[in-house]
Amino acid sequence: MSPPGSGETLVPTHCCFCGVQCGMYLRVDRRGKVFGVEPRDHDINRMRLCAKGIEAYQQINHPDRLTSPLLRRTRDEPFRPASWEEALDLTAAEMRRIQDAHGRDAFAVLGGSGLTTEKAYLVGKFARVALGTRHVDHNGSLCTAAAATANHLAFGIDRAANPFSDILLSDCLLIAGANIGDTFPVLTRYLWGARDRGAHLVVVDPRETAVARTADVHVALRPGTDTAFFNAVLHVVDRDGLTDRAFLDAHTTGWEELRKTVAAYPPERAVAVCGIPAEQVERVAALFGAARNAMAWHTRGIEQHPRGADTCLSVINLCAATGNLGRPGAGYGTIAGQGNGQGGREHGQQYDTLPGGRSITDPAHRRATAALWGIEEAELPEAGTPMAEMTGQMRRGEIRGLLGLGNNALVTLPDHSSAQAAYDALDFHVQCDSFLSETAAHAHVVLPVATWAEDEGVMTNAEARVVKHNKAQDPPPGVRTDTWVLCQLALRLGHGDRFAFAGSREVFDELRTATAGAPVDYSGITYERLAETGGIAWPCPSTDHPGTPRLFEDGRTRHPDGAVHLHPVEWREPADPYDDAYPMTFTTGRAAAHYLSDTHQPPNLPRTKGS
Amino acid sequence: MSDPQAEARADVSGGIPGEQPAQARAGAPPAGDAPAGALPAGDAPSPASLRASSVATAVSLLLVLAIVLGSRVLRNFDAALLPYAVATVFLAFGVAYRYMLWLSAPASRCLLRQARRGVFFRVRALFSRASLSRARHPLRTAARQRARAETRATARAGGTAQAPAFTAQAPAFTAQAPAFTAQAPAITAQAPAFTAQAPAITAQEPVFRERPRARRIAHQLLLWGSALAVLITFPLTWGWISFTATSAAGPGYELRVWGYRLAGFDALSIPGWALFHALDLAAVLVIAGAGYFLWRRMRDRGALTGQRFAYDLVPLLALIVVAVTGLLLTFSSLVLRGGGYEFLALLHMASVVFALIYLPFGKFFHVVQRPAATGMRRAAHPAAPAAQDGAAVLVCRRCEEPIGAASAIEDLRTTMRELDLGFDEWAEYCPRCKRQLRGAAYLTQVKKGYV
Amino acid sequence: MMGRTIFIDPGRCIGCRACVSACRECDSHRGTSLIHLDLSDEGHSAASLPTVCMHCEDPVAPCAEVCPADAILVTPDGVVQQADPTRCIGCSNCVNACPFGVPVVDTRARLQMKCDLCYDRTAHGLAPMCATVCPTGALFYGTLEELRAERPGVRVADSFAFGDVVLRTGVATVVPADKVDWPVPGGLPVVEVNGVDVP
Repeated sequence: MSPPGSGETLVPTHCCFCGVQCGMYLRVDRRGKVFGVEPRDHDINRMRLCAKGIEAYQQINHPDRLTSPLLRRTRDEPFRPASWEEALDLTAAEMRRIQDAHGRDAFAVLGGSGLTTEKAYLVGKFARVALGTRHVDHNGSLCTAAAATANHLAFGIDRAANPFSDILLSDCLLIAGANIGDTFPVLTRYLWGARDRGAHLVVVDPRETAVARTADVHVALRPGTDTAFFNAVLHVVDRDGLTDRAFLDAHTTGWEELRKTVAAYPPERAVAVCGIPAEQVERVAALFGAARNAMAWHTRGIEQHPRGADTCLSVINLCAATGNLGRPGAGYGTIAGQGNGQGGREHGQQYDTLPGGRSITDPAHRRATAALWGIEEAELPEAGTPMAEMTGQMRRGEIRGLLGLGNNALVTLPDHSSAQAAYDALDFHVQCDSFLSETAAHAHVVLPVATWAEDEGVMTNAEARVVKHNKAQDPPPGVRTDTWVLCQLALRLGHGDRFAFAGSREVFDELRTATAGAPVDYSGITYERLAETGGIAWPCPSTDHPGTPRLFEDGRTRHPDGAVHLHPVEWREPADPYDDAYPMTFTTGRAAAHYLSDTHQPPNLPRTKGS
Repeated sequence: MSDPQAEARADVSGGIPGEQPAQARAGAPPAGDAPAGALPAGDAPSPASLRASSVATAVSLLLVLAIVLGSRVLRNFDAALLPYAVATVFLAFGVAYRYMLWLSAPASRCLLRQARRGVFFRVRALFSRASLSRARHPLRTAARQRARAETRATARAGGTAQAPAFTAQAPAFTAQAPAFTAQAPAITAQAPAFTAQAPAITAQEPVFRERPRARRIAHQLLLWGSALAVLITFPLTWGWISFTATSAAGPGYELRVWGYRLAGFDALSIPGWALFHALDLAAVLVIAGAGYFLWRRMRDRGALTGQRFAYDLVPLLALIVVAVTGLLLTFSSLVLRGGGYEFLALLHMASVVFALIYLPFGKFFHVVQRPAATGMRRAAHPAAPAAQDGAAVLVCRRCEEPIGAASAIEDLRTTMRELDLGFDEWAEYCPRCKRQLRGAAYLTQVKKGYV
Repeated sequence: MMGRTIFIDPGRCIGCRACVSACRECDSHRGTSLIHLDLSDEGHSAASLPTVCMHCEDPVAPCAEVCPADAILVTPDGVVQQADPTRCIGCSNCVNACPFGVPVVDTRARLQMKCDLCYDRTAHGLAPMCATVCPTGALFYGTLEELRAERPGVRVADSFAFGDVVLRTGVATVVPADKVDWPVPGGLPVVEVNGVDVP
């Protein structure tokens, strides 16, 4: 607490690190520098924070901050400091050169979901308007592609169906492939709150995590066998008459097909495939099926598999079959991992989407976006390729130049040697970062950009709630915002008139216009409304609309027929099965103190020896 | 930044004269009425308190005698300085009283016992270089020795041991793949990181910071300024030091101690000037030191949060007032030709008397207590235990981490039993094991899971 | 137990160490974390236990009693303070005497430090940093009534047994209903059974 006379101010903002987006205050001294954190009683977290949020402020005035652009002609040379003029001129020149010689698609842009939504929007617009390339994607597609696909198939919309607060109203919580205690510690309070009211907790996870340790049922199944498990649970739910026939008849399609498929998944099959006792299948089916209100939440544990979308669909099938959608305490969600994992994939930073969650392949959507951006529909590029495929294209020379911002791809991409080879093959690589990350250290040009506390903007948390981050201090001299960098590059590429943004507010206003009437509608959200309310869930089509915390309350999805599309899914053997040479499965875990690749600066977050 | 609770806390520490100073056992209200470990509740003064009073009285009387004798039966005693002399007698009483009371508590009494043992049998060690230098905590020495031994052992073994081949075990792993194997490595992989992070009394990581240099320098200024002032003023007010002129008119002066001529000097020379104005130098040092601390207490966030007016700020203010009024006296005599001298003299006297009477009961008691405590500790447990003497450092019964000098732990257990703290066996476990054992006991005997 | 105090529920702790990070941010001891987070079943399960100063009531502050320099003070409301740096000689008596393993000694500066219930916050009606941020409510600060309002039917205990000594603490522990009348086991006596310590 601030002693009187110390001259400090508290700036309300949110943590940058995960999809919960806890509210917090940054403490700013009388010289305008951030020096500490103070808990904040925000709706989402009510003063609570995890270790990352508490330590986050230490990144801001860290001694290793980059303070000037760095450049070199070849990777054999060391970096030399340069002026912004020189660095930006060189970058724009290289962009032109590569595109003139090898086509527009030879230059790619790779963004990130740690960027605010304004910047994510600009990334997409820059790639498609200023560069005219189809290759734009972000690190979020590495994580959320499976769930996004499943959500689109089932509901026609990609977001969590319920707010976190619904957890407190639920009677049975099914947490699958999610290590809540280590990845979203603050959400644990919601789980405990539900349990205090008598709710049952079922955790599906090969490992006994901290939350799994005290769960009512911990299904410690073999990695990669979740589809078989959920099919088996649905089998028992159907067998015991625990399905919600009224809901199935009124709001879903494909139940008969699904039923036939899960008939082949009796509990014995789950025993054989998943390695769990049959009575666990029975118990979970009884708890979930008989609960008045049940919810299922999952994260990457069940999604990041070769058929991850199928697994998500098997969970959705279970929720729909038991009528658990669109009611307080009853529903479904995937929890977005990154701070702006939800917002970062909504507005065109992804290879197949346009602002407002529109599709780049849909002609009507394309026309609308082109009109908004003041270009011909024909000028709008086609769909690109996901980030994981782009590395292959870089290796093969189809992509020769890259602008990276908001990511540290050389660390977070799987198959490091391939990623390294891909980046090595690039003719020109420019990376924006606050620190000399591994990826930036590999580039030709490094541009120092502001941290999350040095610019205002919005992020969307895993509940699809848009929250406002406020600027707590000015960036150090020589450091600029990503927004400014993109606008300056666009200027040099001849598109300055479409990128005349003074700051985040102007970008957000354009974003609001861009999303009006689209599936992901931000048009009713303003900075002022966010400050008043503490966050608004989209869609929010007008400024007097309160937002939409819970989806499907009217029983209608975003499909033209308004129904939940049930997709029968089969469990398939993994692509690389066990054999004598490879008898073990390694599954990645999480540490509560670290996230992605960027938490190595705060000195007090624990680290193992040698890391 | 004071509040009623903080003020009361100052009482507990014995901040107001006339209240009983405390040895921390402040269980029962009202504040200030805090009996020490050996004192029974009730109205009658305790044995310890009586003993302390009698010793203090004796000390005061001795001082009076010393003053009388040292001033040649008051011949060299300056009557104008009488209030100062009386204040010093009160000071002597207060210091002796608090000192005795402090020593009567079981913990300090124990340390004194150990120290006496130490002095008699380790006189040489007491004055050895290791003992006089900034003695390292025995645990840091133990940790160093262990690290050296480990490095030697590894070098001898020729690097890390080979990992045992595990392919032969593979089939067992596949069968067990769920909960167990994936779980244990994750936990043990995490554990080393966490233990390395724990604030270590074995000093694995230099997590803490010492007092910054500015504070140390300021403290030295304050210390030497005050010491100089005391060295000059106390003997002066007692009449032990006097100045006589060698001739009626000349600049020559004689410095006399207990009436005996110690040195002669020329009042107009530089040494002479320095001697006469030594108190002004002391005042400057004190103002510099105390002024820094006062400034720090208005700005520094760490200080602002916990400070108490009576305990932290009053002593500093008192010293500054004493120093400033003293300088004003010099200013008056040098510049104002003695204008306002009487008033200033009265002011100075009042501030000095207040400071001297206040000293034993506030923060500045550490001037007396801390050297005594540190000295006792050093005499009882001299610096580095012998390198090969494993018995000198006790290791935790469970995890074998060093926890302290064996003699210190033994004496602590004795003290604990004297104080009726029956869990002294616990002292032979390191804090981490205590916590882990308690956690394990909770898991097995109270509540394993959520409810 | 104190009127407004910390309630610890190890069953809800997930070992996320938010409390450790937050403790470090308290202005009265910035940069040093004074709460402990230990794995109670290390190597076998994720069970964890946070340890704050228990602000012992009966006997009052054993740490203070064994302090030879009279450095540990107790406020009238029962909060046991850190050792006064002007008096502490870093002898580690309190570290070894405390049955809960709470105080730590900076061996370089020879000063003791320990949880003081974030006195600069609690003296002004705020919760200590650890309980403020605890994501699971394993650390809760308030009155027993406030705790009961959040968790109806919760039971707490405020005494610990170490061998045959029972120690009453200012900080309370959550226990199941059937364990309310017993002191919480402190971990002593430790008996060796087949070479394994059994608390």
